[in-house]
Amino acid sequence: MATGILPREAAIFFVPLVTLLLGILIGYLAQRSGYCSIGGFRDYFLFRHTRLLSGYLTLIVASCAGYLLFWFLTPDAMEHFFWALKSGVATPIPGAPGSLDTTAYLIFSIVPGFFVGLIAVFIGGCPIRQTVMASEGNYKAAWFFVGMCVGSVLFAAIVSGWVVALMRSLGFGV
Amino acid sequence: MELRYPRDTIRNISSVLIRHPAFLGATIGILAAFSQALLISAGGPEAYGFCVACHTRDLVNGMTNIVAGTSLALAAISKNSLLPVMSVAGVLIGGYISATLHREHRIKKGTRIEYLWYFLAGVAVLNLAMIFGGCPYRAALRTGYGDLTAILFIVAMAAGVILGAYLMLKKAEREDA
Repeated sequence: MATGILPREAAIFFVPLVTLLLGILIGYLAQRSGYCSIGGFRDYFLFRHTRLLSGYLTLIVASCAGYLLFWFLTPDAMEHFFWALKSGVATPIPGAPGSLDTTAYLIFSIVPGFFVGLIAVFIGGCPIRQTVMASEGNYKAAWFFVGMCVGSVLFAAIVSGWVVALMRSLGFGV
Repeated sequence: MELRYPRDTIRNISSVLIRHPAFLGATIGILAAFSQALLISAGGPEAYGFCVACHTRDLVNGMTNIVAGTSLALAAISKNSLLPVMSVAGVLIGGYISATLHREHRIKKGTRIEYLWYFLAGVAVLNLAMIFGGCPYRAALRTGYGDLTAILFIVAMAAGVILGAYLMLKKAEREDA
């Protein structure tokens, strides 16, 4: 069990507070910059604009630098950094449903990735851009956000079970 | 005048910096690592500092569990805490504050059929993102944390974006002709 700077009793109290403040800062800056990950790839492909894409690539590099920094400062909190060296090249960080074998999680990376990109480019923005546009008064983006809220209940109640059962029936169970 | 000059320069630089996406990318990256270092004792998973899809799931399912007494699945960090992670609520508040301060808050309405498509796209994007275990942002954080499968997600996402942009380009050309 990883231990962070705050002890567990304080951490469970501070989780909503810290994430709320973090979210307000990110929402403010995202509204200022028009930040969008899908938009970055789209603008680069269509117009060779690199402004938005630089934001997404910086996120990858900066998160790596940030995790490296806090791995030096608080090694207990970064238990499995650098993941590929400690847990295996093809093992994903937990988060996807079910206990399936490695091939299933590779499929879980590629197929949803492709369709997230496809759908998001048609509606003109990734989840954070839609959320910020909803806060700017865009009703279409607000309906996207409502769809995400309904989708999260649907996923937990129904869809995750379906997906795991499907992958098991295809022979990817453990 | 000479005294005012450096202050204006600083102001100009900071306003350019704040409006650049790379500055936000760096901010999210560092602060996500910091929030993991601060809060990981409350529970996993790792590389979970910021994610629009997962944190929406945690917020909605966590509040539903508290209010309705259900037991919908959510991440350990939200399950163990007093309230689930609030970053998406923060993004809405922050975006609203910024839009109001800079007079960019505009009501933009669409048609009912557009609302339906956006709603379905929201459901689809969230479910697809949850199958992977993260939206594009958590994919970037996971890549930074050293998870190589997340790179596959980003590459596949870029392929999907290129196909979608190509289809939209073709459609626009057909409508022009």
